[in-house]
Amino acid sequence: MQRVIILISTTLILLGTACGGADRFEIDGLAAEIHSGECAEKSDELVTIYSGRKENLIDPVLRAFECATGINVEVRWGKSAELAMLINEEGDQSPADVFLSQSPGPVSFLEAKGFLATLPQTTLNQVTPQNRSDAETWVGFSGRKRVLVYNIDELGPSDLPSSVFELTDEKWRGQVAIPATNGSFMDWFTVFRNYHGDDVATEWLKGMVDNDARYYPNNRSIVEAASRGEIKVGLVNHYYNYQESAAGGSKHRAQNHDFDDNDIGSLLIITAATILNSTENVSNAQALVDYLLSSSVQQYFTDQTLEYPLAANIAPNQVLPPLAALQIGSVDFDSLGSGLDKTSRIIESSGIQNQ
Amino acid sequence: MRKHNAPRGLRVFGLVTAIAFAFPGLYLVWRNFTSGADPLGLLFSNQTLQPLWRTIYLAGLVSVSAACLGTALAWLTARTDLPFRKLWSVLLPVPLVFPTFIGAAAFIRALSPGGLASEWLTAFGVHHTPQLRGLFGAWLVLTFFCYPYVYLPVNARLKQLPGSYEQTALLLGDTQPQVFLRVVLRQIGSSITAGTLLVFLYTISDFGAVQLMRFDTLTRAIEMNYLARPPISFAMSLILLALAAVVVVSERAASRHLPDIRTHRPQHALKYELGSWKVPSLLLVIATFAISIVAPVAAMADWALGGTLRSDGRPLTVSVSKIVEATINTLTSSIATGVVALLLITPIAFLANRHKDRVGKFTHGVVISTFAIPGILIALSLRFWTIRSGFIGSFFYDSMALLIFAYVVRFASLAMGAASVAVNAVPTALHDAAATLGADRRRRFRTVDVPVMKPGLLAAAGLVVLSTMKELPISLILAPIGFPTLTTRIFSSFEEAFVAEAGIMALVLVTASAFLSWSLVLRRSDAL
Repeated sequence: MQRVIILISTTLILLGTACGGADRFEIDGLAAEIHSGECAEKSDELVTIYSGRKENLIDPVLRAFECATGINVEVRWGKSAELAMLINEEGDQSPADVFLSQSPGPVSFLEAKGFLATLPQTTLNQVTPQNRSDAETWVGFSGRKRVLVYNIDELGPSDLPSSVFELTDEKWRGQVAIPATNGSFMDWFTVFRNYHGDDVATEWLKGMVDNDARYYPNNRSIVEAASRGEIKVGLVNHYYNYQESAAGGSKHRAQNHDFDDNDIGSLLIITAATILNSTENVSNAQALVDYLLSSSVQQYFTDQTLEYPLAANIAPNQVLPPLAALQIGSVDFDSLGSGLDKTSRIIESSGIQNQ
Repeated sequence: MRKHNAPRGLRVFGLVTAIAFAFPGLYLVWRNFTSGADPLGLLFSNQTLQPLWRTIYLAGLVSVSAACLGTALAWLTARTDLPFRKLWSVLLPVPLVFPTFIGAAAFIRALSPGGLASEWLTAFGVHHTPQLRGLFGAWLVLTFFCYPYVYLPVNARLKQLPGSYEQTALLLGDTQPQVFLRVVLRQIGSSITAGTLLVFLYTISDFGAVQLMRFDTLTRAIEMNYLARPPISFAMSLILLALAAVVVVSERAASRHLPDIRTHRPQHALKYELGSWKVPSLLLVIATFAISIVAPVAAMADWALGGTLRSDGRPLTVSVSKIVEATINTLTSSIATGVVALLLITPIAFLANRHKDRVGKFTHGVVISTFAIPGILIALSLRFWTIRSGFIGSFFYDSMALLIFAYVVRFASLAMGAASVAVNAVPTALHDAAATLGADRRRRFRTVDVPVMKPGLLAAAGLVVLSTMKELPISLILAPIGFPTLTTRIFSSFEEAFVAEAGIMALVLVTASAFLSWSLVLRRSDAL
């Protein structure tokens, strides 16, 4: 016990001396790569973020923002859907100024409830129209592409389909994993319904169920199962396989396969930033959202987190497959707020969750 | 049974506690009302009945197996000459600390086909391991993560039982198994049912394990519909709470028939020699240890090493200082929760058991039923109430006090059963004798109650502390901004497939819990 007390007090003293006396932010590592040069002086200004994007990926960006502007950043990290529920519960008393969501669904939910402020045109215009809200309340700041992850010991690139519609073929019976209740899958399926119509989308899902598709709770567990050979292929976001192979090296036995560019299976799912109606720190919040769309941050997203940049004319990192038609096509995330209800009904009544 | 009048202060305290613990339930009722949910209509729809049935079926199976396993392990470590007893007693509570989202994933990584164990098993000629999924997978992982709910209180109770009954039975010619069935089992019955009730309630509220095992229970529908169809989520959560209340009431009715066995004086319990049972017993303990601890820890170590030894690629995103910060936060908040829970629950246990007071029994029921409410709803409900309670709310908003309170609401139920058994263990005769000799209430509490209750109360606190260390949704929603815990950091790394970082911090969490298990539960109760 004594030793614990000594350990704790030593740490506290160390922390105390580290914080004492500095009036400028200090950054290192990845944050320093985003913002080079000396930091601004610390101000009294504050911006509070509820972030469904996770700390490992986005903390360097926020540290760089503090350094660049002198504005203090406070973050509540969490799951996008739960943070949206929290904002819904807190209403106009929410301490949050900015909400960063992992997928468009949660921001659409808040938009429908009237919790979101209108963003300035200069901010909105930094991304293409389909990557922002028609109601001008949120803007996409990075993208994750839907792909088919596959086990490289069981299959080669030539075995793989060019469209999600081929996955209902007998050839794929019992071999496809679907994260049917996961937020980004539900967002994808909602866009699918709007793009091809409810009948086509519902029939596709029913076809997948009849073809003995396997239900998994999320993208990460599918990538892991594909690597172990438990399933041969799975519908996921491109992002997870890059992280798993970065961690596992050659022990990781799965890779991403891209569907055709104009296939709905190749949709880019965006992560979204929004400002809350209730904020009293409007200019700080706007500065933060604009910073996310700046060229150095967009470059960071594609180089370090291997996501697709959406603004500032930054090209995707070379390791990422190029984006084409659908990104620039006619898909629209605006229908999500009201569309999730029906998506949930269709998915549940398909019975996929019992497969 | 003599009825003691409860002091008025204690009854008021009980009532206030009941109201505090009813916040989440009242919030659920209110949200059902405002969202236009139809819990009754939903209850009888196919959409609900099937997952509800699966929920009950799974919880029943896990309860039975965890009760058997937990009791057997408690018996072996507390009352026999099992080799390395001390070591096993420190290690066996550890599975309680695995957050299911990473614990179940590690379990799959280690034991599923193609996982870590498969190569090793091939060397032994085992080529086909069953795929961990569905009912089997969920049952397996929950049994091996939940048995400590039974193990800890039963172990504490066994150490405390007077040896006289057992000695008498042995002298009268009963064999050891007969003594166990006729004498010991009756005396530990209330501890077993209290622990099993927690296993049942935990299983119906679990989300992480059943989801990864792909067994479709009510919590899946609740989780999926938070944003898409809120009325469905709220209605199903209310159904879950009602189910919990029914089970809690039935447990009370059932355990009423179990005798309260009082401890006459704290004394050394009888020890049994295992004899020819030594090897099979040791194998059972080793198998439990291997499945519930070694397997997930091996997967976590594999993740951690894979990332740490990697020479190229992305550098690690965790630093020593971040891990130390999160560890200190985790330890301080969970120990504080254990202490507060004990301070809150012990009076309720007195009220409900010693005084047989109606307020006490009601509070007891409310506290335990709350364990079935998903953590996220407890967090949201407390946010809801603080925002609507004026200056008191703004005082607690974003404070450590609110976080600890939420943890207590979530986990104090774990302490309730063990605390009740502890209170019942105090012999009334001893109490009356002390009173006759002129000891006042406070002195009797200090010299009579506390020594007898100590092992049970420490086991209760241990359950709360270890469970709080792994808590996720409340920590994410209610912790003051800038108060990361190990579990929130593990979550944010693991969700984004930063498995090396998640693995390292999960190992730290396991180590910290083993340390606590050693210092909190064992050293003290053995010193008795």
